[in-house]
Amino acid sequence: MNRLPADRISTSQTTIILINMMLAAGILTLPRVATEKMMTPDAWIAVIVGGLISMVIALIMVKLCEQYPDKTFYQYNQVIVGKTLGSIISLAVVFYFLLLAALEVRVMAETTGLFLLQGTPIWAIIMPFIWIGLYLTLGGINAVARLLEIIFPITVLFFIVVVFLGLKIFELDNLRPVLGMGIKPIIDGVPATALSYSGYEIILIIYMFMQNQEKAKKVVLIGIGVPLIFYTLTLVVIVGALSVEGVLSQTWPVLTFIRGYEITGLFFERFDSLLLVIWIMEIFSTFIVSYFAVAMGLAQVFKKDTKIFYWGVLPVVYLIAMTPKNINSLFAFGGWISKFGFVLFGTIPGLLLLLSYIRRKNT
Amino acid sequence: MRWRGRKSSKRVQNESLQPHAAANPDHQPISGSILADLAAVKESIGHNSDVRFREYRFGPDKIPIVVVYVAGLSDKELINDYIVNMLLMDGDGRHINNHELRDYLFDRAMPICELKEASTINSFTSSVMTGAAGLLVEGVAGGFTFGESQVLKRNMEEPPSESMVRGPRIGFIESLSHNTALLRRLAKTDSLAITSYQIGDRAKKEVAIAYISDIVDPKLLEEVKRRITRIKIDALQESGYIEQLIEDDFLSPFPQVQNTERPDRVLAAVLEGRVAIFLDGTPFALIAPVTFNMLLQTPEDYYERWMIGSLIRMLRYLTAFISLFTPAVYISFVSFHQGLIPTKLVFSIAASREGVPFPPLIEVLIMEVSIEILREAGLRLPKAIGQSIGIVGGLIIGEAAVQAGIVSPIMVIVVAVTAITSFSIPQYNAGIALRMLRFIAMFFAAVFGLYGVILFFLLLGAHLVKLKSFGMPYLSPVSPYRVKDWLDMIIRAPLFLMKKRPDQLQTKDQTRK
Repeated sequence: MNRLPADRISTSQTTIILINMMLAAGILTLPRVATEKMMTPDAWIAVIVGGLISMVIALIMVKLCEQYPDKTFYQYNQVIVGKTLGSIISLAVVFYFLLLAALEVRVMAETTGLFLLQGTPIWAIIMPFIWIGLYLTLGGINAVARLLEIIFPITVLFFIVVVFLGLKIFELDNLRPVLGMGIKPIIDGVPATALSYSGYEIILIIYMFMQNQEKAKKVVLIGIGVPLIFYTLTLVVIVGALSVEGVLSQTWPVLTFIRGYEITGLFFERFDSLLLVIWIMEIFSTFIVSYFAVAMGLAQVFKKDTKIFYWGVLPVVYLIAMTPKNINSLFAFGGWISKFGFVLFGTIPGLLLLLSYIRRKNT
Repeated sequence: MRWRGRKSSKRVQNESLQPHAAANPDHQPISGSILADLAAVKESIGHNSDVRFREYRFGPDKIPIVVVYVAGLSDKELINDYIVNMLLMDGDGRHINNHELRDYLFDRAMPICELKEASTINSFTSSVMTGAAGLLVEGVAGGFTFGESQVLKRNMEEPPSESMVRGPRIGFIESLSHNTALLRRLAKTDSLAITSYQIGDRAKKEVAIAYISDIVDPKLLEEVKRRITRIKIDALQESGYIEQLIEDDFLSPFPQVQNTERPDRVLAAVLEGRVAIFLDGTPFALIAPVTFNMLLQTPEDYYERWMIGSLIRMLRYLTAFISLFTPAVYISFVSFHQGLIPTKLVFSIAASREGVPFPPLIEVLIMEVSIEILREAGLRLPKAIGQSIGIVGGLIIGEAAVQAGIVSPIMVIVVAVTAITSFSIPQYNAGIALRMLRFIAMFFAAVFGLYGVILFFLLLGAHLVKLKSFGMPYLSPVSPYRVKDWLDMIIRAPLFLMKKRPDQLQTKDQTRK
């Protein structure tokens, strides 16, 4: 794919794509997932550590991308490791994004079915959602970036307002003692929290479209920094409000937390469903960015027009999204994808970077 | 197809063989023999009852001359003045031979600024038919045309479609030259450029574009010119034709070119670096490019102090939002999510809907459609009757429908609020676009509740981010972010803060000076 001027995205757009990609359905379950392994209120420390680790990995990715500024990951890995191996790596990455897209769609459908539209079949919820995604992605990276620019402030502001409205049921005692069980549980918890940042890998693919590529380092630092603050805030407030035991017993701790308080005198009384409605947009943004990455990856591996794959991937996403039988297998599926992504993106960019250095020295 | 083509070419040949049409009338020159030329002109346009011929004799040699004009269209006073003047001079008493005659006429006898020469019969007659007076002279090859059509114009009044509390009370009229003159008079700068084109295959209408030459982005200007010269149509009736022929996406419900009757609005736009397009015969000028944001602004925002301007502007954004989403949100709350709204409100809504036989969607549809019908009826009727339609409609909708149990009172409130909000959007066609979309939002809400509303929002967003007006993203400066332009978006910052021209227009001269 050529880097047409129309296909460039600005620095702020790249940052917003990164943030939106990371903030998704995961945050609704984050307090439980993060606390599960540790059983202490210190999960927020683990989240910060996880974020810092993610930043390091992301910086490695940027370093790798800087070697080939006018190619995407799908193209330059063939240069580094050869055609066959490169294609295999690309397909693995495509597979990851495909699973991620499907997962987001399904989680969205599950929560919507549970909180908003009881009795509506899952397929009916999924179909219009992915059709709109298709319509948008046909406009290319620029359309995606611009829609995300609209979604981002709305969702983030709403989320923050809703979380802060719940401060009256917050109790600091629930967070104490800090480091009461030492550092060990935090180290145990870091992998789980690091997984919650999955999504920043998209920098491998969108780096090529950046207008000011020299700012990519800043982009990933801010792009991961914002979710880091977000996650920490959420964890502190929600564990503080529900306590560790309370968080563990809830499927959707964030929604439970919001249901836990009531604001009277306003037009709305309950904010949990409302937050979910708004958050659907955030899930949508993760979905379309992954979707875009899948279609572009396939187009570049098979050297065909991207449009074919936009249409062709749609039923595949639908089928994968319909595969998990119930919400537990969905969560298992999600955990598996995160681990797969962590292994994939924790190792491959670093190795590729090394290889490219070696290659450069030899020639 | 081929056969047809041949046949039609045959017909043309047949016609040209007929005695009254000379060989190839398009390029037949004016010979200088007045009898032949007059015959040719008469053959071409003489059958029209409003074409008049008047013969005179000129100079000591009694050279025959003929004036051709269209009654009521040509400026008779001008003809009289100059012909009388010419006859009075009488060739200065000299005998002028054929070689000198043309120069003599051109230099001495017809001291008029708009005297043009027409070399062929065709160009001569077409000038006459568009209002010039034609002059044929024995012995001079080529005719003269002078003057232009008398302008039939009305007074420049306050435009009824864009009334304002504060601001100049003058609007464009149906004459292009007056409109551009008005703009020039208000602009008072020599860098205001006006370029005109003749567009239309059958009726050549004058289209003019106006811009400030040292501000406008040359790429934008090039694009506007390209799109205008590319127009292929037999006749342009109104600037709406141009709008539809140069817009980016004909499938979009949103207007991609702004129209206005206000010269101050056009002037402000060209000073920002946009391009205005005028068409002869309509008071509506077009402005391109436009963003959604601009459609919600009025010139008055800038005339009032900034707090008032900002507040009213925010109010307009709110009304746009309400106009688009209220019925949809109502439907989704009543049919799907009663739990989201306060319990007391649920009870009162439920009580008021008691006895209403329809589901909320049908209820809303009945009311929304009938209010659209009322609006349309009130618009087309003469003013006096239009008002009574409003009263009748209001009574029927407000009282009778509720009492008859067809709709609930709360529904009436929802519909009334949406109707009023959609009227408060300053650009008429943008208001209609939102009203159209409101129905789509209602269907989404009826099927999926709030989830449907969000889907609709995403769909609308996806459409709007793809939409462009002359290469400018329709949602800018909201998306893509152009932080510098946010001073003049939802708020209207104090004037001294807005030292820069809109970043999104990429003007040559960024500073307002």
